[in-house]
Amino acid sequence: MATQLVKGNTAVIIGALYAGCDSFFGYPITPASEILHEAAQKFPQAGRCMVQAESEEAAINMVFGAATTGRRAMTASSGPGISLKSEGISYLAGAQLPAVVVDIMRAGPGLGNIGPEQGDYNQVVKGGGHGNYRNIVLAPASVQEMCDLTMRAFELSQKWRMVAVVLADGVLGQMIEPLRFPEQSVAPETDTSWAVDGTAATRPNVVTSIFLDFDQQEAFNNQLQEKYAAVEAAEQDVECIRMEDADIALVAYGISARIAQGAVEAARAEGIRAGLFRPKTLFPFPKDALNAFVDQGGKQVICVEMSNGQMCDDVKLAIECRCPVHLVNRLGGNLVTEGAVLTALRETAKQI
Amino acid sequence: MSVKPADYASSVPIAWCPGCGNFAILNSAKKALTELELPPERVVICTGIGQAPKLPHYMRVNTFNGLHGREVAAAIGIKLAANDLTVIVHAGEGGAYGEGGNHFLHAIRRNVDMTLVVHDNRYYALTKGQASPTTPLGTVTRIESDGVVIPPLNPLALAISQSCSFVGQGTTGRPDLLVPLLKAAIQHRGFSLVHILQSCPTWDRVHTPQFYRDHSDELQEDYDPYDREAALRQVLTPSERHPLGILYLDDRPVYDEQALEQIEHPLRQRTVNPDAALALLATFA
Repeated sequence: MATQLVKGNTAVIIGALYAGCDSFFGYPITPASEILHEAAQKFPQAGRCMVQAESEEAAINMVFGAATTGRRAMTASSGPGISLKSEGISYLAGAQLPAVVVDIMRAGPGLGNIGPEQGDYNQVVKGGGHGNYRNIVLAPASVQEMCDLTMRAFELSQKWRMVAVVLADGVLGQMIEPLRFPEQSVAPETDTSWAVDGTAATRPNVVTSIFLDFDQQEAFNNQLQEKYAAVEAAEQDVECIRMEDADIALVAYGISARIAQGAVEAARAEGIRAGLFRPKTLFPFPKDALNAFVDQGGKQVICVEMSNGQMCDDVKLAIECRCPVHLVNRLGGNLVTEGAVLTALRETAKQI
Repeated sequence: MSVKPADYASSVPIAWCPGCGNFAILNSAKKALTELELPPERVVICTGIGQAPKLPHYMRVNTFNGLHGREVAAAIGIKLAANDLTVIVHAGEGGAYGEGGNHFLHAIRRNVDMTLVVHDNRYYALTKGQASPTTPLGTVTRIESDGVVIPPLNPLALAISQSCSFVGQGTTGRPDLLVPLLKAAIQHRGFSLVHILQSCPTWDRVHTPQFYRDHSDELQEDYDPYDREAALRQVLTPSERHPLGILYLDDRPVYDEQALEQIEHPLRQRTVNPDAALALLATFA
């Protein structure tokens, strides 16, 4: 398979094309605009549909419409745009439609700046819009994964009829690394059990998020929660590096995990038994594997993130605070440094 | 003169590209406010996101920098709370007509006393050259590699058709006409739209200041801006030429004057009287 130097945002569109995505709807925003640019260039050439919408809300509602037909649809943006799309994402969840949303996080809140951050964690992982819903959230940490996890997002989204979000940051979107192109492209089939595509087969199907009867709405909500529990049981995904004998787990996703990995190696050279626990799924959070670390004698956890402890909260919940959980973070467009993580590892090691 | 140009001077370094049409708009905006003898503390410039919205960063003036496309809605809130201040919105055509298109329509209807200045450079310049709501058909951009296929919005025809209280057009190719136009718009009571055809030296090599000088005409002295059909003819007749000046006027009732009539205003200076609310308790019975 061909390997090429590619930008993270470009890799998203390569993944989408290989995943058989039929339609892309977007609106420009830094640092995610290259996804729109690549879609504009490549989608029409591959016979797929691409529209530059008049706003982020328009784009997510175009996704809503296209997804209704059972075809693979996606959009991409950054924090301020994801906030705008949250209304539509809630409706997609209510209608149990598959769709892929890519969030190239920048610093917030508000306008913030265009530097990298991971401050959209709560918005995306907890749902973001109104109602009792979840999104499947995948967290790439390399250009390769920007492609691979975009493909995976389409697969999981269709499998569970949920919105799947690829949650990356400004660094991952903008950086260039070798990308090994996917082995195979996918030709997805329309699921006629729920889609409405104008054929006789799908005529009885109704796509809706409205249940005026309270008990019906409650039953539907319970059904959603059962589905989310099934997703939690089936789809947890994590990469563990040097975790086998680790006393201290660094929990980090995305670009923060790449930085933490360097600190693990440096700490090991000093005799500190550190490991990297890198969630590849943020919902479902890989809590089984993290609990296994605690069960097997893991002593301390350090969360490394470019947000105000948003992931750290989930880590504490996952292990029910059965061991001390610390936070090393930066905000505002700044990256955590390997040195800061190493310092935290040394401090924590003294407490063991 | 009590207000001097220096009152509006700012030392913030300007981040626009050299040759950007925004410089002419910035200078005209400062000059208009100075000539109207409006001191900076009596003026609010409200913006969203884009190149145009950076304008008040480069002036010494009250600044509200809010959400992309929501600048008009924010400005309505500002005006209703502080109706003694002069409220001006500076937006790009992306914010004003794309993201904020819905707000634009209803601001025309509501007719709050404020001025919307739209810097129309026909591109999303901040996010690097995508097509905007006014990019001409066939223009090749980094998104539309085969050329734009949906026709541009005609904001002037839209505004006039909806009886927008003040509709004017200027261009950065004729900065001499911008100052009187902005002054008239600010002085007008009601919602004023000033559409400025702006050059973008980075993304658009066609619509240069010279292009706009060569392809525009000042409205004749006998032109009647109260004649809506004449105004619509000006902006609907297919033409290579752009009319400059006050295209349309409609002395409609001003929303904030009506809405605030029964209330002590400006709201920001009002003392809240808790007894007035308590007196209402009986009416809930």
